[in-house]
Amino acid sequence: MISMNRFLLLLVAIFSATALPSVAAEGHDHLPASAEVLFELGWFKFTNSTLMMLLVSVVLIVVAQLATRKISLVPTPLQNFVEWILESLINFLSSVLGEALAKRTFWFFGTLFIMILFANWMGLIPGVGTVGFFNSGPGADPHDTFTPLLRGANADLNMTSAMAVTFALLWFYWAITETSVKDFFAHIFAPKGKFQGLMLVGMIIIFLFVGLIEVASIAFRPVALMFRLYGNVYAGENMLESIMNLVPSDFLKWLAALPFYFLELLVGLIQALVFTLLCAVFLRLICEHEHDDEHAH
Amino acid sequence: MTLPAFILASAAEPATGNAVDKIVKTFGLHWSLFISQLVAFLVVCFLLKKFAYGPVMEMLEQRKQRIADGEAKLVEIERQLKESEAQKDALLEKANADAKRLITEAKTSATSLAEQKAMEAVAQAQVILNKAQEAARAERAAMAAELKQEFGRLVVATTSQVTGKELTAADQQRINEEAVSSLN
Repeated sequence: MISMNRFLLLLVAIFSATALPSVAAEGHDHLPASAEVLFELGWFKFTNSTLMMLLVSVVLIVVAQLATRKISLVPTPLQNFVEWILESLINFLSSVLGEALAKRTFWFFGTLFIMILFANWMGLIPGVGTVGFFNSGPGADPHDTFTPLLRGANADLNMTSAMAVTFALLWFYWAITETSVKDFFAHIFAPKGKFQGLMLVGMIIIFLFVGLIEVASIAFRPVALMFRLYGNVYAGENMLESIMNLVPSDFLKWLAALPFYFLELLVGLIQALVFTLLCAVFLRLICEHEHDDEHAH
Repeated sequence: MTLPAFILASAAEPATGNAVDKIVKTFGLHWSLFISQLVAFLVVCFLLKKFAYGPVMEMLEQRKQRIADGEAKLVEIERQLKESEAQKDALLEKANADAKRLITEAKTSATSLAEQKAMEAVAQAQVILNKAQEAARAERAAMAAELKQEFGRLVVATTSQVTGKELTAADQQRINEEAVSSLN
């Protein structure tokens, strides 16, 4: 009972730290759409979302290292947890991509899901977006004088675009290596089905046009992926900050936002799933053609 | 706005006034930030592959193999157990049949032995009886002979006393024979 009371007190204390958005809100009249630069070294800019990304990376690598340092057939609880996550993921991806392709691409899809999920959830830790410093001086923006030290890593379009562009490049590589250059282009432009004579000519023209639409669709996919993830995470942070600012008392702001934290936990998971699943489905669609042909033979 | 347009716009200085540039500026897309996030993501991919996916997948594979081996062994053990049970049942059945046969044989041999022994006993009894009868007959004959001799002597003695004369051996012989013959 005593430990339960202590836990509740700790919970209140932690969430009271979210009272800091009032300070942040005084520092800016809206949540900036882009990550804020903490320092610059020549051309290199270091933003608060880059710092968050580094923290998430360190946490993931440390957990992975701790879980697998003394890996054994009889697992420790941490090893068991990591095994559970990875096994669930590979099974999920195998159901979409097939076992062979899922194993081949797991290093990317696994990291994609885990990275997005933990970046989203760590962005909800009280203190992210609220602990920072005030800018002063002649160059300071009067509408945005507060710079938080940490910002949700996926609330930065640079991060989501890095993942989307990586996927787009890997998509080409995997599509061509899983099929062939000829099959790759045939999948996009060649008529589906068996036609002869004039019908064939007509179909070639139609499927050429369909292929051009497909090319446009392929080019738009990464942009849609990056904006979808960014938009959801940024909107979530914006909503939390707005809800907290509705409460006048600094020490009760966390209470109004509490239900939305659970919503954001769910959104974080769903967005990680959506991004990973869409990428997997896009890859499956381009690799499906060759596999179907193989089955047909 | 396609991916190539987006990348080109983010690499360019966002000073011009077109829509892509405005978006790039609004969302803070910058090639150095993009590359730093890209590198960080790829480094995490590499490290997780090295520290997590590789060892964990290998361990899962090992465990799967071990479970499959265990299952195969279990099936083998079950098969052997069934075989053992079948063998045991067959042995028990054979032992039961043998036991029944032995009991039947024992019963049969016991019956015949008993009959044989009974017959032997009967035969022996018959022999004993015959011998007893023969002995009794012999004894009776001996007694009869002795009795005849005694009777003869008595007749001779009585005759000698009644007549008051000394009988000769020939008289004694004749009287004795006549007396004995009168008994037959």
